[in-house]
Amino acid sequence: MKRDLSTAMSLFVTILILAAFPLFAERSQPAKIKAAAIQVVMIQSDEIKLPSEFQISLYENLIRQLEKQGGFQHVYRDGDRNAANVADLVVLRSTVRGFKAGNEEKRKVTTVAGKTSITIHCQFTSPDGKSLLEQDVNGKVRFFGGNLRATYDFAKKAAHVAHENFSSPDGK
Amino acid sequence: MSHRRRTFFFTAALVFAGMVVPTGNSQQTSGPVKVVHLTGLTGVKDDAKGTLSVENSKLRFVHGKEFFDLSATSIEDIVGGASSKQSVGKTVGAISMAAPYGGGRFLSLFRTKVDTLTVQYRDADGGLHGAIFTMPVGAADGIKKELLAQGAHTATTEQQTAPPASATNPPNKEQKQ
Repeated sequence: MKRDLSTAMSLFVTILILAAFPLFAERSQPAKIKAAAIQVVMIQSDEIKLPSEFQISLYENLIRQLEKQGGFQHVYRDGDRNAANVADLVVLRSTVRGFKAGNEEKRKVTTVAGKTSITIHCQFTSPDGKSLLEQDVNGKVRFFGGNLRATYDFAKKAAHVAHENFSSPDGK
Repeated sequence: MSHRRRTFFFTAALVFAGMVVPTGNSQQTSGPVKVVHLTGLTGVKDDAKGTLSVENSKLRFVHGKEFFDLSATSIEDIVGGASSKQSVGKTVGAISMAAPYGGGRFLSLFRTKVDTLTVQYRDADGGLHGAIFTMPVGAADGIKKELLAQGAHTATTEQQTAPPASATNPPNKEQKQ
């Protein structure tokens, strides 16, 4: 009888621990960094030769996606003087780490070859250059679409990273 | 006789070609050029078709009844390059992928060469923008030369001929009407 009771008790405690685990897991997630606005610096590709249309497409898509889903009150462009006086500003510097120019023709004909991929190191810093978050983000186009579609893929992923790690001070 | 005649026709053809070719080149550089705006101009949809011209120190993109003016002096970098695009349209190309016996894939092999023109410019607040256009082969070089002649900058030329521009450049204007 006493043995049954202790077994039931241990079972109960185990269930409690298992039930409480997700709550602890949520708490252990790092808190989002408060940022009201973000300034996007032009994509840098000093080491890797990147066609100018890719560089511009990456930059424009990044700004568009950050405006759409980044969760910031304002997205400033490279050099925008209005960003100078903004409190809680985050600066995003992106450097191309890898680039493979695929071939749309090959993709359509073979469906397995001709993939375009681009890897970019994203560094979120404070205005004084202190690093807040660094992550490599890649963009790919495997089957359909032109090579520049890889830039759209990258921008969506980078905006998602920003959304996951930063939040507006007003809680939006 | 026949030999002299042949020589005459050959010389005449050469003279005629000499007269026509420069005219053809000058037509590419002046007047509006049919382009596709891939991305970058504020308020203009991606893949919008229109014409691009350089007049009064401005790069003008006309799309339907609307136009977008960009001051040549606001352009920081301008790059022209060759590219290729699928001859059949996007929709037809996508639908044709379902065609039997790889017919759609066969269609995708037909490609047209195009020129790509990329322009980096600053708005009135100093914000950097980038725009990409595609146009018929040979047209990008003409537009680039005209813009450079009217005050636009390009990174490659500046590196070779002039010291880097100072950070106190006057703000440039971007207009859309």
